[in-house]
This record gives sequence, structure tokens and C-alpha cells, in this order.
Amino acid sequence: MDEIERNQFERELTHSLERRPAPPSLARNLMERRSRQRAEHLHFRRVLWQRLAAGMVLASLLGGGFAWHHREQQRKGEAARQQVLTALRITSHALNQMKTQLAEHDRDQQE
Amino acid sequence: MAHSWQPDFEQLVDEHQSMVYSLALRMTGDRGLAEEIAQDVFLELDRHLARIESPLHALHWLRRVAMSRSADALRRRKVRGMDLWVELSDGHGASAEERESPVGVRLEQLLTTLPQPLRAALLLRYQEDLTPEEIAATLDTPLATVKSNLQRGLKLLRAKAADYLKEYVRVKEQARGV
Repeated sequence: MDEIERNQFERELTHSLERRPAPPSLARNLMERRSRQRAEHLHFRRVLWQRLAAGMVLASLLGGGFAWHHREQQRKGEAARQQVLTALRITSHALNQMKTQLAEHDRDQQE
Repeated sequence: MAHSWQPDFEQLVDEHQSMVYSLALRMTGDRGLAEEIAQDVFLELDRHLARIESPLHALHWLRRVAMSRSADALRRRKVRGMDLWVELSDGHGASAEERESPVGVRLEQLLTTLPQPLRAALLLRYQEDLTPEEIAATLDTPLATVKSNLQRGLKLLRAKAADYLKEYVRVKEQARGV
């Protein structure tokens, strides 16, 4: 292929490969898709945050419930311990009284 | 890295839509697909806008992504040369001067019948006026491969154009009753 002919062919090729104008629908459809994607992204983020918030509320409720249950168990245990101690004190007091009476009774018999 | 240039998406679309669309159209030969690819490329640009440092960076980025997305689309769709011919034959956007030149009109169509690596190299060389070094960087291909693809592509395209021209002259002469 001789140089002149090749240069002419390349010029012709450059000429026929000039950029074509994009169809007017391209920019319009692109902007619509962009708005739609942004709206979907916002919606997705909103739903994500809502779910996250709901999850945190649920976790707080469960945690609070568990803590309340734990404290209630502790309170009941403490009350039961106090009752047992009271019962032991009453029993001890009754036994002491009985012991005193028996001692008095023994002393009366000896006299 | 901090950069002072603030990209305006709509302005970038306005400036480069013709380039991105033409690359996609000539790579795939399918107008609908080319528009879809161009939209995808710009939407990807929108997601990466914060990383674009200058107008030149945007231009290189768009060229590279347009070529890459077109190649991906071709792999997916396996578009054949004949389909491309039909798609491109209505001369959308072609100037009156182009329509008058039988070879000029057909060169674009003949280009779509070349193997994809040759087509990509020729397109960047003659549509985008890139040097072989710039083409190699855009296509992420060795320079020697790009130079070879350009030579082979030109040779093949020239042969196809010569065949077409012979056929064109023969048909014209027949029509004139020579």
C-alpha cells in the first residue's frame, strides 16, 4: 500500500468515524434513571435505619425485661431470706423461752 | 487526595455523551444497547464522581469505562457482524457529505465487521484521535499488541473497502447498462 493512498484512506476513515450526536432520549432517560436510583437509595437507607431503630428498641426492651426479671428474682430471694431469718429468730426466741421455763420447772422440783 | 475541581454531573453528560454513545454504538452496532451502555457508564461516573480529579481525568475515565462496558456487553450479547451492519445502515447522524461518499458511508459499517480488538484499536485511533500509547493505556493492553491491532485492522478494513468499492462500481455500471 503506498503512503499517499494509505494517508487518504486514513483521512477517509477519520472523517467517517466522526462522533455521532447522542439521541436526545439518552440524557433524558439517564437523568430519570439517576433520580429513580437516588430515590431507591434513599428509600433503602430509610428502611435500613427504620429496621435498625426497631432492632435497637427491641433489644432495649428485651434487655430491660431481662434486667427487671433479674432484679425481681433478687428481690424475691432477699425477701425469702429475710422471712427465713425472721422464722429462725422466732424459733430461737421460743426455744429460749421454753428452756427458761424448763429450767424454772427443774428448780421448783428440786426445792 | 484533595483536588479543587468540582465536577458537575450534568455538564459532564452534556460534554461527553456524544463520545460515549459513539464508542458504544460503534463497538456494539446496536443503537438501543449503545444508549443503555452510555447510561450505565454515566451512572457509574455519578457513583465515582468524588474520585474524579479533573476534566481530563473524567474524559479518560469515560473512554476507558465505555470501552470496557461495550466489550462486556458484546461478550454477553454475542452480537454478530451482520446484525451490526443492519443496525448502522440508516445513517443516523451521518453528514450529507458522508452520504455522498460510497466508501465513507460503508467504512463505519465495515468497521463493525472487524474482530473486536481490531475494532476497538481503530475506533480509539480514528474516532478519538488517540496515540497508540494512549490506546494501550485506555484498553489496558500492551503497546505492541495495540500497534499490531492497528496495522491488521487497517489492512483488513482497506481490503473490505476495496471489495465493497469494486462491487459498488460493478452495480453502478450494470445499472447504467455498461
